[in-house]
Amino acid sequence: MPIVLFVSVALIAACGLIYELVAGTLASYLLGDSVFQFSTVIGSYLFAMGVGSYLSRFITRGLVARFVSIELMVGLVGGFSSAALFLAFAYTQGFRLILYAIVVAIGVLVGLEIPLLMRILKNRLEFRELVAHVLTFDYLGSLAASLLFPILLVPKLGMVRSALLFGIINAGVALWSTYLFKDQLGARGFLRISCAAVLVMLGAGMAGAERISQAADANLYADEVIFARDTRYQRIVLTKWKDDVRLFLSSHLQFSSRDEYRYHEALVHPGLAALPGARRVLVLGGGDGLAVREILKYPDVESVTLVDLDPEMTKLFSTHPYLATLNAHSLTNTRVHVINADAFPWLQQNTDSFDFAVVDFPDPTNYSLGKLYTTAFYRLLAKHLSAQGLAVVQSTSPLFARQSYWCIVETLKQAGLKTYPYHVYVPSFGEWGFVLAGMSPYEPPLRLPPGLRYLAASDVLPLFQFPHDMLPVDAEPNRLNDQVLVRYYEHDWREIEH
Amino acid sequence: MSSTRRQFLSAALVGLTPKTDRPIAGGFIDDGHLMGHKLRDRASFAPRKQTVKVPIVIVGGGIAGLSAAWRLHKRGFFDFVLLEMQELAGGNARWGENEISPYPWAAHYVPVPGKKATLVRELFEDLSVLRDGAWEERYLCFSPQERLYLHGRWQEGIEPLTEATTRDREEFARFAARMNEFRATGQFTIPMELGAKPSALDSLSMDDWLKHERFTSPYLSWYINYACRDDYGALARDTSAWAGIHYFASREPDEKGPLTWPEGNGWIARRLLEKLSRYVRTGNMVHRILREGRKLRVSSGQTDYIADCVIFAAPSFLAPYVCEDAPPVRFIYSPWLTANLTLDRLPAEHGFEMAWDNVIYDSPALGYVVATHQSLRTHIDRSVWTFYWSLADGSPSDNRRLLLEKDWNYWREAILRDLERAHPDIRQCVSRLDILRLGHAMARPVAGFLGAPDRVRLAKTSGNLLFANSDVSGFSIFEEAQYRGVKAAERALDGLDSRERWRRTNVLAATGR
Repeated sequence: MPIVLFVSVALIAACGLIYELVAGTLASYLLGDSVFQFSTVIGSYLFAMGVGSYLSRFITRGLVARFVSIELMVGLVGGFSSAALFLAFAYTQGFRLILYAIVVAIGVLVGLEIPLLMRILKNRLEFRELVAHVLTFDYLGSLAASLLFPILLVPKLGMVRSALLFGIINAGVALWSTYLFKDQLGARGFLRISCAAVLVMLGAGMAGAERISQAADANLYADEVIFARDTRYQRIVLTKWKDDVRLFLSSHLQFSSRDEYRYHEALVHPGLAALPGARRVLVLGGGDGLAVREILKYPDVESVTLVDLDPEMTKLFSTHPYLATLNAHSLTNTRVHVINADAFPWLQQNTDSFDFAVVDFPDPTNYSLGKLYTTAFYRLLAKHLSAQGLAVVQSTSPLFARQSYWCIVETLKQAGLKTYPYHVYVPSFGEWGFVLAGMSPYEPPLRLPPGLRYLAASDVLPLFQFPHDMLPVDAEPNRLNDQVLVRYYEHDWREIEH
Repeated sequence: MSSTRRQFLSAALVGLTPKTDRPIAGGFIDDGHLMGHKLRDRASFAPRKQTVKVPIVIVGGGIAGLSAAWRLHKRGFFDFVLLEMQELAGGNARWGENEISPYPWAAHYVPVPGKKATLVRELFEDLSVLRDGAWEERYLCFSPQERLYLHGRWQEGIEPLTEATTRDREEFARFAARMNEFRATGQFTIPMELGAKPSALDSLSMDDWLKHERFTSPYLSWYINYACRDDYGALARDTSAWAGIHYFASREPDEKGPLTWPEGNGWIARRLLEKLSRYVRTGNMVHRILREGRKLRVSSGQTDYIADCVIFAAPSFLAPYVCEDAPPVRFIYSPWLTANLTLDRLPAEHGFEMAWDNVIYDSPALGYVVATHQSLRTHIDRSVWTFYWSLADGSPSDNRRLLLEKDWNYWREAILRDLERAHPDIRQCVSRLDILRLGHAMARPVAGFLGAPDRVRLAKTSGNLLFANSDVSGFSIFEEAQYRGVKAAERALDGLDSRERWRRTNVLAATGR
């Protein structure tokens, strides 16, 4: 009999610690600054336990029934704590308030458990034995929980399911207690029904954990999601707020329909307008067709080859009524050839040469994308440019990611190209940078095609001037075997976020 | 920020995926041990049907043999054959290929050679790996090169730094400083023969040397043991301190490397075979070499070659089984196991991005290398992993027996269990797992190897039976194999020259043969 009791002591101790760890870990992940989060979570939790222990003196009758109800409440609050915190972070402004409310609530309830249990058991054991055993198993349970949490629970189950699992254990202990202490318990039927109800709720939570994840994810976008699809390569999400449509690829903002014309006019015209003889144009990346829309404003351009990895992306921007209107049906234009391929190997096996190349890849957030910003890639690109040809490279922000930007410039230089860096202000992005590169000298154009919304010919030259806070900084070139750019980029953006 | 947050959310929320064991195809790859054992057991071979006269016979088509052939051909000597036991040449640089990628079966990289490694540089110039003093970027190992699974996460690099104490870091720094001192002595060269001098370091083990120098960090000890297992197939306690130090003190790359290819050093073997295929006879095991006057009769299958000179580039321990004249070879060889795993999807990841070389801390194996790492693609969703395992713990002969006794299921489970520590869902990703057992994968540089009479005798042999395997250097690395092969080729040519046979081939060369 006693050993069974002490196992339940160990179990509830484990549950208590798991909820504390869940709260601390979640707060660290979502808010950063893990030392602060863990300190304050542990501190308020322990304090709340003290409050609970003090409050236990006011419980005088029906100890077992109270104990069972407290177990059920801990199971319910603790079990759903993780899901509640995720959703609170995604949907509300008051994440911290809810975090500490949950921590304090669980702390008070857990603080009530052991004093009550000891009082329930006081007639069964000598006091000396009782204290020793209860506390021993309390600490053993904590040890088990603290080891299980990082090794098994987080990697195997995830945070939401881990908390729910221990909620089920709490409720299980409650149900079990109605049998263990049945001689000390009056009406058992209602308590057992409550236990079953709580178990069902937690079980349903387990089954629906996936849905909770999706609900939380959707709300990380500020606006209404009007389209979302997981393709083989990325997650495409379109959001809409009033007349502003935004495209996110794997959660990275690609454009806002309100100001994308600034980005795409600046991307295409400073280079292409300076090449009156340009006939053949290559676009790498840019499956939204917006750069192509600008290129098609040149009647002399005979063919545009667009190479984008994701067929779903080019299909979406060819067929979706709103998006096809936004890119002026550029992807279905007869002058445009859409190729769905990985750009580096495609360029490797292709032998065509182009007068103008637009390189509009996602930012170098990882080593895979970083390959597209290397000396090897730019050397290969240079081989595909005609003698007077130019390439323009999307090069992240010279203000927010200053060293990354100048690293891309340096990489192009190392690949043997002349470089002409410039930048533009796009409200939804901030200051954004491009680099024109080619084998021949570049002169800014004197005329631009008609019908531009942002750029006038006289505005082009000033784009090449950099104010003090964006001036060149030292950077190593980015090579396949030494991708400094990915490290610069990570470092630059980390600086901004803190 | 939004990206990392989303990734975290999905990682944290989507935990448990239903576990169903999928069937995994695969088996053992022919490693030639059956043929080797026929030699050991002095089995009888088919009688000779034809006799061919040829000035030089190279035995063995690994890097040593191919390098000898490369040198002969480059010197304008075309009258030789290379006999390889296996159907595919390559030796420890052998490779395979499937619908996803070519992949290595053994050696998979060459450190970027320094300025002094002139022969390796010359070869790489021939193969357009080195052009106008610059290394071809696509052949240098892409970032990220290495990662280590430690304390439940992948960290960048294989020096264990996660939760390293100040003391650990100090010992790593002190160790690096000691290695710099050894490098400065000029004795730890590649090729080793150029700098090696008799040394007291060769009389103790690497483990003893570490104790003597008062290195106590468990992280450093793991790291050095890893290096010894990786390069020599031996634990630090079974490795000569001289060899252990050589690993760290011999190289000073001027470029971030190493050089690698999807099929590992198989790429080099392939390029050499393209140039040299007309000399190479695969599926031709040499079972007897007999001295006949000043000539050597080399029997292989139903053909006898009457040669002026034989370059024995196969593992040297085989020589006494085929040639009564051969000196005794009492080297210790390390047994290895390699496996190629075909992954039709990649496992979930925690921590630092997948690298080229992926090592699990405290694993008995050496980790895995990703064949698709050198791909130019940005999106890779299938791959081939080459899993390396030098059976270093225990006696080599016991481990060799274990290699042959246990069936494929046993080794498959051992491999998957090891990988499961870092990749819990690995069983859902692997569709095929093939295993190569290498009983005598590489010579082991045990304490005393440097001055061992057997080794010194092989290195010095002159006459017309020349030894070219990397085991003559005491350890199996690409540069040593190439050096021994080239040197043997040059000595063979000198020998022929002195007998004035040289003129004949020059005439042939001049007439466009």
